[in-house]
Amino acid sequence: MTLATRLADAPLRENSKEPGVLQRAWINRADYLYVLPSIVVMLIVIAYPIYYTIELSFFTTPPSLQLRDKIFVGLDNYSLILTSDVFWRVTANTFIWTIVSTFAAFVLGLGTALALNHEFVGRGVLRAILIIPWVISAVAASYIWKWIYHSNFGVIGAVLVSLGITDRPPNFIDSVSTVLPSLIVVNVWREFPFAMIMLMAGLQTVPDQLLRAARVDGANAWQSFWHVTFPHLQGVSTVTILLLAVSNFNSFIIPWIMTGGGPSNASHIWITHIYELAFGRQRWGIASAYSVLLFIIMMTLGYFYVRALSGAERKDRG
Amino acid sequence: MAHVVLRNLVKTYGPHTAVNNVSLTVNDGEFVALVGPSGCGKTTTLNLVAGLIPITSGDISIGDRVVNDVDPKNRDIAMVFQNYALYPQKTVYKNLAFPLQMRRLPRDEIDRKVKEAARVLDMTHLLERKPRELSGGQQQRVALGRALVRDPAVFLMDEPLSNLDAKLRVQMRSEIKRFHQDLEATIIYVTHDQLEAVTMADKMAVMNGGFLQQYDSPAQVFNHPVNMFVASFIGSPAMSLIPLEASSANGRTVLTGEEGWSIELSPHNARKVERSTTKKVVLGARHSTIKLSTSPVPGAIPAKAYTVEPTGDITFVQALLSGAVVNISVPPTMPVAPDQPIWLEFDQERMHLFDGATEMALEAD
Repeated sequence: MTLATRLADAPLRENSKEPGVLQRAWINRADYLYVLPSIVVMLIVIAYPIYYTIELSFFTTPPSLQLRDKIFVGLDNYSLILTSDVFWRVTANTFIWTIVSTFAAFVLGLGTALALNHEFVGRGVLRAILIIPWVISAVAASYIWKWIYHSNFGVIGAVLVSLGITDRPPNFIDSVSTVLPSLIVVNVWREFPFAMIMLMAGLQTVPDQLLRAARVDGANAWQSFWHVTFPHLQGVSTVTILLLAVSNFNSFIIPWIMTGGGPSNASHIWITHIYELAFGRQRWGIASAYSVLLFIIMMTLGYFYVRALSGAERKDRG
Repeated sequence: MAHVVLRNLVKTYGPHTAVNNVSLTVNDGEFVALVGPSGCGKTTTLNLVAGLIPITSGDISIGDRVVNDVDPKNRDIAMVFQNYALYPQKTVYKNLAFPLQMRRLPRDEIDRKVKEAARVLDMTHLLERKPRELSGGQQQRVALGRALVRDPAVFLMDEPLSNLDAKLRVQMRSEIKRFHQDLEATIIYVTHDQLEAVTMADKMAVMNGGFLQQYDSPAQVFNHPVNMFVASFIGSPAMSLIPLEASSANGRTVLTGEEGWSIELSPHNARKVERSTTKKVVLGARHSTIKLSTSPVPGAIPAKAYTVEPTGDITFVQALLSGAVVNISVPPTMPVAPDQPIWLEFDQERMHLFDGATEMALEAD
């Protein structure tokens, strides 16, 4: 806004202490103009697909597989999803996948960040090595891990056999009971460096004087961590955990490439399942309904993320 | 309470020596200020006493115990930090209780001690607040309280007032002094503000470049600085230091300035100058020991007022002599204007003379 409009608006603001939403929008009309281009782009690439997904979730795919012939079924898709066994199986998988991956990646990241926070020879090299899983392509990593896990040619199996721990190489990703934990290991391996980097940045802001004060006050290393360092990391920890949770909820590459959701849906999580329904089996309506449900869950997580972020900001200012 | 002895204390960081062979004794119940410019080694010395950094060589005793390798928590010390270092997520009560909890004291004893400390420092009403809800002065009082609850042998204070505004600093200065008197506490106090040191301490240790320059009572340091550094660092405005040329003839010793003027020294001062290793002698004079006249006086040194700074009850006049800035204080009623000719007389009894080469104070005997 130019100085002239600001001055011209001044009496208007004085007259009514709390201008209405529209009035405020009009006063700040120039600001809206500036963000208009990005709003238009967002509407085209985000708002319309969201609308179309919601619309599709009330239809079912016709036998012709042509979307122009789609058949309206109301809320049938939703009731079908909520009463199917696969839905509950996939949901359980998704939550196990998300919670275990997030927690393990965070704890591992915190541990490595704390270890790397001390001066020692080779720290820089070690830090660079530890970041590798996060910076290499997830697709490449998934293929490599698929080979590492392979029941006939896998490195892990070969090592276990040669050490005499097992007679036969174990089935990591071909068995219903071990596939999800095996994929979670890969996922944690891939994303713990992210938590590590975030927490390392957080650790650098812990005031040295506080740690010294704690030492003089008689705290040992663990007590210093628990009473000074960890509370100080609260903000960055919240943000890290939420970002990890969101990204794990939306995971696709690792399970899709390594198992495609199998065997018998044991490693399907929401995103892979939706992808398979839509693009594998052309079940657009069911897939859309799944997406709408996922959208609701993600928005709830997003709400907490924003709240945690602004809360951390408030704390910083206070 | 206990006494603290530093013997030949050295701390090096690679090639850099932060603390160089410092020895001093802090007696039981004494308030000692470590004072010096930034980077002089005073905070490092304090951290060495606290045990927060390891010493390179030398000895530190607290009480009758050598504590060189003792952990900070077992040294029976409490520390007050420049930024207060309060635990931000804990209430005032929990901040005060923390050092006691770490010592595994019974809950009711912790409660009693915390409330007693809060009462002494008049902050009972603040106990449930978080540090960020407190003013700077209140935070500093909590930091003092956290040191107090421990009932330590020695209090170590690292520039505790430097984050406060000027008015609050003066107020907290007297509070800390009162705190020292009431508790008869042994306090080692680091400051870069010589005024804090002079007003609060029983003894001050002036440091520069890692070396202990002088360790004595504030009055002694003020009146008998051992070298030019101490002379210029203690006192505000700083002591004027004027480089002059000494010469003797027919039993008279005179100091001559660049401008050609000269002062004939008293026999006592002449004996001092005889001990100088060089002809170059530096004359030191505090602002109040120089007499300024606005009309010619026989024997006085002619000069020109450079700036005039009225401060209310005293006016400071600055003049240039022999390339040095000379501060003179005059009553505010005296009419002096910049560029006006003035005449200066130095008080022979209260002037200081320094060796121009070694920068050490010259003594008559």
